[in-house]
Amino acid sequence: MWHIVKRELYDNLNSLRFALATVLLLGLMLTNAILHLREHPERVQKYSENVAAHQNRLKSHADASFYTLAQKGPGDLHKKPSPLHFCAARGEAFLSAHVSSFQSWSWQERGLEGLWTLGYPSATPNRDNLDPEVTKVDWGFIIGYVLSLLALLFTFDAISNEREHGTLRLILANAIPRHTVLIGKFLGALVSVSIPFTFAVLVNLLVISISSDVYLSADAWGRLGIIYFIALLYTCLFLALGLLVSARVQRSAVSLVILLLAWVTLVVFMPSTLASIAGHSSSEGRSSSLRTGLGFWERREEFDTRWHEAREDERKKIQLSGEYVTQDAEQRERSHEEHLKRRISQVNRARTITRLSPVTIVEHLLESFAGTGFERHLQFLENVQSYARQFRQFIVDTDRADPESLHIIGVREGVSQKPVNPEAVPKFEDIRNFGRDFNTAVMDLLLLTLFFVVLFSGAFLAFVRVEI
Amino acid sequence: MLTTLIRRELLDNLMTFRFAAAVFITLLLVVANTAVLLKDYEQRLMDYNDAVKTHQRQMQAKKTYSAGEVRIDRPPNPLSIFNAGYDKRVGNEVQVSHTYVPSLWDAGMHGADNPFMDMFASMDIVFIFEVILSLLALIFAYDTLAGEYERGTLRLVLTSHVRRGHVLLAKYISAMICLLVPLLISLLLAVILLTTTPSISLNTDDFLRIGGILLASVAYLSVFYLIGLLISSATRRTGTALMLSMFVWGFLVLIYPNTILAVIPRSEAPQTRAASAFSQIKQMWEGEFERERRHFLATDAFPGIDWNLGLRGSGSDPYAYFWGDPRTLRYSFEGILAFEGFDEKEEHKIPHAQSHFRFLGSLIIRTADQTWLVRKPALEDIFIHPANVKRLYLKLSPVGLYDAATQAWTDTDLHGVRDFFDAARRYRQEVIDALYDKEAFGSRQWFSSDQGAADWSILPEFAFQRGNVNTNAKRALPDVGILLMMNVVIFILIFLIFVKSEV
Repeated sequence: MWHIVKRELYDNLNSLRFALATVLLLGLMLTNAILHLREHPERVQKYSENVAAHQNRLKSHADASFYTLAQKGPGDLHKKPSPLHFCAARGEAFLSAHVSSFQSWSWQERGLEGLWTLGYPSATPNRDNLDPEVTKVDWGFIIGYVLSLLALLFTFDAISNEREHGTLRLILANAIPRHTVLIGKFLGALVSVSIPFTFAVLVNLLVISISSDVYLSADAWGRLGIIYFIALLYTCLFLALGLLVSARVQRSAVSLVILLLAWVTLVVFMPSTLASIAGHSSSEGRSSSLRTGLGFWERREEFDTRWHEAREDERKKIQLSGEYVTQDAEQRERSHEEHLKRRISQVNRARTITRLSPVTIVEHLLESFAGTGFERHLQFLENVQSYARQFRQFIVDTDRADPESLHIIGVREGVSQKPVNPEAVPKFEDIRNFGRDFNTAVMDLLLLTLFFVVLFSGAFLAFVRVEI
Repeated sequence: MLTTLIRRELLDNLMTFRFAAAVFITLLLVVANTAVLLKDYEQRLMDYNDAVKTHQRQMQAKKTYSAGEVRIDRPPNPLSIFNAGYDKRVGNEVQVSHTYVPSLWDAGMHGADNPFMDMFASMDIVFIFEVILSLLALIFAYDTLAGEYERGTLRLVLTSHVRRGHVLLAKYISAMICLLVPLLISLLLAVILLTTTPSISLNTDDFLRIGGILLASVAYLSVFYLIGLLISSATRRTGTALMLSMFVWGFLVLIYPNTILAVIPRSEAPQTRAASAFSQIKQMWEGEFERERRHFLATDAFPGIDWNLGLRGSGSDPYAYFWGDPRTLRYSFEGILAFEGFDEKEEHKIPHAQSHFRFLGSLIIRTADQTWLVRKPALEDIFIHPANVKRLYLKLSPVGLYDAATQAWTDTDLHGVRDFFDAARRYRQEVIDALYDKEAFGSRQWFSSDQGAADWSILPEFAFQRGNVNTNAKRALPDVGILLMMNVVIFILIFLIFVKSEV
């Protein structure tokens, strides 16, 4: 078998397609690295500026008074950029890099201010950017589109060509079992494709790592290793597809036509068509669109009448105000969250359906290991929500610790009047969890393996049964 | 002789597997996607109708002219299923107000309430053609000449006194006929689906536009076929020709359009331009405008410089402020009063307030028009110009040319969406004229509804008419022309190579 592998390899190394593939992959990977070096330091700097602004804001609120801190909340919370942004950057542009917490109203007549709530801004990069729409050149693009096409170009004639020339008959006459031939051809093609790919990846990583602006940790290198193997698995899938068609079809020209059309359908068209079908299948996200002002004036009126009923009872008034402010905040927070959940579930449905296309699977996998994309965004949102709970708990606990306070959050007179220690206020940290990334990836990984196994056994059966 | 050759070539091509596969796959993709795209269009149309109704209702509910908000909406373009262009991307509703001149960057978006869904790439028919037709053209072309060289049949043909030019022409014509079959059938099916959709009615201009798309598609198809032929005649071997064709395809369709924009250097000029223009605009409002306003308030018969003359009444939450956005260079003075009733003792202020608002109205309009003269060229420099430069880079590949040409035909290019905002600006002028005609600025209804509410029926109706097909043709033909020129150049090249080559 090794003989066959070696022969295939030598054949390929001298061919035009090998040279072209090397040039193509190298050019793309270099572009990717240069772009990353140009953009990433800016991204990191912007993030650290934002974090500093967040902490300053917390400190200045804490210095002002406990009431200000409790009322104005933690400000904008920012998503930490991933050092592996260059691996899967496509989805990032459409996901907002921060969650804002803000006060929505103040009512000077009554001396009341709204309690902060979390708001989920949406990133609409295209709204006033009129540049033509293009796909980002990240690893996801290079692997998903270019590498898969190369895999097909390396295998479409692997068997049909030998049959056309009659050399296949010669090989099989030497008492070599057919499966050995097939595996030999498969491994030969795999090595031939992975040589230029590995070379390009190494150049890419070399350029990125010698720059002093970007630092890759040991964890990041581990992730890059996993991404590399995912790329190889994905290549195997297309190699198996190529061998399958090549074994079934008599002529290599026909085999190429079939493969190219299959590739175009699977890789180029299926993801977007399936996504738009899935997007339209659910209209519930549309019909009940968000109205932030929903019930706002009604609540205020109800509060107003009760406030007037309380007359001279100051204690009662404070209590009513506190109830009103906290209820209003809860209501708004709930409606924001429900809205977000509906959006997320619509996207999740679309993501599930688009998994029928291997390119989407590999994109999901790359995103989860590069720490970008939608899953990562969900993790960020979870971090934010748990921080919000922590922050509120801190406010309640600090207030409880003061015996002089009335323990009515939301009103200036109702909360602790003592100064707050700015150091004690919890700070937001966007932590990523490797184990969780792996969990979300397992399904995709299994699916990809399943695709490969099915196609490879298909190729095997086709080759074993075919007449030479 | 030529007809014999064409017939032979045609039969050769029609009986092949690749022809059947080409027809099948193109039809499948186009029909499936047209159905999805039509559904999407209907959804957007519904959103548009809802938005129009909501905006009408919101306007009627306002009792005073100063609180009124006229919002106009951009209808979705039915031809956007061919090439979506900017139709879904840029804002589709804009406020028409005397306080500022509306532009593309002030527009908001109705419908499509899940921005996360933008993560999934959207598709249109032209994109399918872009990918599939070019691939098919190369698959048809790679062995036309190289195959005959290899088999030696070319020598046979040429021995029987056939001119080489004829052989080439016959091959070109027959292959193009074959390639046109999937294109025409799928386009026809798409048009049939389009016309049978009840919410869409196409007029003659629309059919002419679709004809324009067809023309551009044929030119695009032919460019790729000729590229394939060129490779085939230059390499003389099918294996090499095939590999080279596939890499050329991958480069032109997949890689060049996506990398070129990332590679060209970014310029920092727009940022500084934006900052300087914004400070200039801000200066115009806060300097000259504010001075004149204060001057009027100080010198009029009523003491004090409070902008609402200290009017107190029921039912209003008055506010006035400057509002600006340094990114889109919008700056305006907004002042809203909407009283429902007054005390007796406020009555003497009302004539003063009327004359003040009459003055303020024309001052705001004048300043807004003046700032637009600064803002318009600045917006061109910051947004339009860089986008056009990028477009130019894309047009170096036939894919970019084809995309630009079809966008121009479908009216979804930058010109097309900007036409709407031109119409919005004209409509703003009409609204202002109507308000002047009815003396709305100096009327009591400007700030109070105690003696009858504002009469919104004085405003003209807004209706957006797309330009006729001539304007589309004017915008599209340069790109189509370049595509056709590419055809001629490559054909001459092939001819030269083929004539000089030894058989």
